[in-house]
Amino acid sequence: MRVDYWILASVYVISAGLIFLIPRDRIRLAVAAFLFKQAITFLIGLVVVQAGLIEYPIREFASVNRTSFSYEYFAFPLMCAYFNVRYPNGRSIPIQLGYYAVYSIVLTVMEVIIETYTDLIEYIHWEWYVSLITIGLSFWITRMFCVWFFAKASD
Amino acid sequence: MWVERLVLVLMWLSGALVLVVFIPSNKRREGALALLVLQAIIWLCDLFAFRYGLLSAPVREFPKATDLSITINYFFYPALFAVFYSRRKEKAGLARRATMLVLWITCLTIFDGLIEQYTGLLEYGKITTYGMWLYLWLLYYTSLSFCDWFFKKRTLFRADRRRVL
Repeated sequence: MRVDYWILASVYVISAGLIFLIPRDRIRLAVAAFLFKQAITFLIGLVVVQAGLIEYPIREFASVNRTSFSYEYFAFPLMCAYFNVRYPNGRSIPIQLGYYAVYSIVLTVMEVIIETYTDLIEYIHWEWYVSLITIGLSFWITRMFCVWFFAKASD
Repeated sequence: MWVERLVLVLMWLSGALVLVVFIPSNKRREGALALLVLQAIIWLCDLFAFRYGLLSAPVREFPKATDLSITINYFFYPALFAVFYSRRKEKAGLARRATMLVLWITCLTIFDGLIEQYTGLLEYGKITTYGMWLYLWLLYYTSLSFCDWFFKKRTLFRADRRRVL
């Protein structure tokens, strides 16, 4: 039980550390990616818990919310913000696809490890490859949003 | 129960409608960001408000997943804020802008009170109507400040555009 709280705390510390790695001149891109990603994870996270596919036995705001606040509201969107500010723009397609793959695979592996060894997340009717696909897809949708958002003069 | 369902459906439909109709086409980005900002802030604040019994949502969309109201927090109030933000008069004086905000918040509080009174979608606990006015004002003020910071410097905005494209 105790180790779960240490992991949760370290998720916050590492994610917060990512903020300092975002260059100041790209802060708006980071903010747009963060907020849009949050809107996706927030809703999908709720649907997944409501449908009984995943449970988060140890969580914040436990009495009012059954989804993972730290992951869906904070850690994953921050990861996505970092993903977007470091995106290999203008590089070849294989490099761009590889960039998606690295982020999705690393996050999925971390999730599976946390699922196996802690009570922070429990798969009920869920598989690791569903995570992999949905994580990759959410990165792509967020990227598309950012491309639209910064595409041309808004006024 | 059917009243609540009807109100929720109406919130989704009218929310989508006001987004399409009232946000000028050259302000879509401002509207989108404003929506996302209020969404993030209202969710965080409501987690505390619900946790400490200020208000509750007896009838809600995903009762198993969360005690919070999703339509109101995720879509309807953020959509209203997007309209407010994209149509605000940037160049108007402070008094005029403050009056607009106060009027808007007052209407929103009345609407919120009606929802509380006549449906089970919201139930005030420790919070009073005045408290709700202040709460909504705080949500708006924080979101407005953030959005204004975001769009303040066009040059920085363009710098980010070069990064993404």
